[in-house]
Amino acid sequence: MSSSTGNILEIHDLHVEVGGRELLHGINLAIPEGQVHALMGPNGSGKTSLMMTIMGFSAYKVTRGQIIFDGRDITGLSVTERARLGIAIVQQRPPTIAGVKLRAVLDYIVAHDSISAEEVTQLVRRARVEEFLDRDINAGLSGGEIKRAELVQLLATCPRFSMMDEPESGVDLDSLALVGSLVNQLFVRDSCRPVRRRSGLIVTHTGHILKYIEADRAHIMLDGRIGCSGNPHLMLQTIAERGYAACVCCMVEGDEHGKVS
Amino acid sequence: MAKSVSTVDIIAQDEAQTLADVGVQIRPDEAQVRSGTYVLRDHLPLCVQTYREGLEMLPIAEALRRYDWLRERYYWKLISPDQDEVTAQVAAEAEPQGYFIWVRRGTRITRPAQAGLFISHEGWAQKLHNVIVLEDDTELHLITGCTTGRAVRSGYHLAVNEAYVGANATLTMTMVHSWGPEVIVRPRAAVVVGDYSHYVNNYVSLRPALDIQSNPRTYLNGVGATAKYMTVILGSRGSIIDTGGEVWLNGEDSGAELVHRGVCTGGKMYQRGFLVGNARCRAHVDCAGMLLDPGEEGFIESVPGLRSFHPEARMSHEASVGKVAPEQVEYLMSRGMEEHEAISMIIRGFLDADIEGLSAELDARIEEIAAMAGHGERK
Repeated sequence: MSSSTGNILEIHDLHVEVGGRELLHGINLAIPEGQVHALMGPNGSGKTSLMMTIMGFSAYKVTRGQIIFDGRDITGLSVTERARLGIAIVQQRPPTIAGVKLRAVLDYIVAHDSISAEEVTQLVRRARVEEFLDRDINAGLSGGEIKRAELVQLLATCPRFSMMDEPESGVDLDSLALVGSLVNQLFVRDSCRPVRRRSGLIVTHTGHILKYIEADRAHIMLDGRIGCSGNPHLMLQTIAERGYAACVCCMVEGDEHGKVS
Repeated sequence: MAKSVSTVDIIAQDEAQTLADVGVQIRPDEAQVRSGTYVLRDHLPLCVQTYREGLEMLPIAEALRRYDWLRERYYWKLISPDQDEVTAQVAAEAEPQGYFIWVRRGTRITRPAQAGLFISHEGWAQKLHNVIVLEDDTELHLITGCTTGRAVRSGYHLAVNEAYVGANATLTMTMVHSWGPEVIVRPRAAVVVGDYSHYVNNYVSLRPALDIQSNPRTYLNGVGATAKYMTVILGSRGSIIDTGGEVWLNGEDSGAELVHRGVCTGGKMYQRGFLVGNARCRAHVDCAGMLLDPGEEGFIESVPGLRSFHPEARMSHEASVGKVAPEQVEYLMSRGMEEHEAISMIIRGFLDADIEGLSAELDARIEEIAAMAGHGERK
């Protein structure tokens, strides 16, 4: 059930402020239903801000523009409403909450979503998070452990659109295969027909995660704008060879020639 | 000792419901879940039943008539009638109200006993004197539910509570309070604990009164005696709540742990915990408060304190006051929770963080506080 445009997510001229300072300066982005896009760019370019804004976190104030999800303007909706429409996020550094256990959150999901307790138990086992179930959520966990604990929660809610902020950061190589396979599972809608899948947006610096989940398209963010978009592998290759500095040059040239949309 | 008349026949249904809200269960199969029941409405003892050999529960006046030793050894022996205005008022009653609970030597009782004390008349002043005696080698869990009838707004609850715990004994007191908005609450409590015995004091205030002062004092006189206080308070607009307690560590190798968790949705809240070290001992006070939409005049003041007379008294305290962090709330909302559900989950975590072995009753009350606090925030 996608919108008439076939896009699950559309962002139009999005301007966002945090603490009175504008961090996003007119983002335009469209992600078709069933596609997974990668988001790249140097630190501080606004990748995290864009994801947090799509999820609806209140510190990120939209001053102009629109976020359309599945044909519906969600710019004014609460985090809860967006989550219930099927938007989800794995934050890079999720908060710890004293006394709140991972088990409590999973129990809530079982009570309110369609997944059964048995299925959650299987997910927990597969993601190897049993031993964190009764610890305070995200407390004292390594990078890889946090990602696994977060991914279990997302897998349990089956979101239509999943965002991930550097899913490979702080994950050692042994853990990466498991994290990668969980990410992959998240987007698979029908294991017999891998072409049909769920949509998402993944922030990656290294591109390691793209070995596990094929991205349809990549976007490079520079200073609160999307500089260019294209084939993820070609773009990663260019960045690996020439760094983001080349992108900056490209963008400045583009600006001069009035070519950047 | 068990009598044939059921408490269900004596207590009206709406009153039974009011009592159930504070952990006092009046029901046909009561004997399956409780070892004894005492219910006092205003000044009238409605029922006194025990279901266990070795456990005696009596109205205090009757106990004083029956047992001379009660007056000689226990009555007004830990607290003096001239301590303050509250004790003086209780002492001035011609016929004292309250309960006497006596657990005979060697009796270990797993099912809780319960005492329901409620005010059914507007403006009623309930003046109580309660005495608990646990002989050596005994165990008792007493749930005390204090509350007002649904329509009652004001009243006074003045109480003197004296408890004596012998050697190798454990007394667990779980006090659940839920008051009308203008009730003034003044319990004065003291407990003495013998060799290798334990005293656990749980205090939960759900529906806060206008003004509560409850700082029970425990004397750990025995070798290896311990005390554990767990105080959980929900404060709301217009209330003054001053709770916590004192523990005097007089016995060698005694130990105490005082934990105070307060959620302030308005009103003034004082969290206390005072330790006096008179022997080689270990003790810790931990006060933590959370401000949740406290309004302009709402505050939490945490006052942990230590006084040491002994070089080997190892005592420490910690205190913190904070708020519910929006990023925590929104993190949980991003899993599909409503804002109030997320806040409830966080408050619930805050209230029972680092507390092990909560009783089922206490657990249920904390759940309730968390739910109420969550709805408070939504406005």
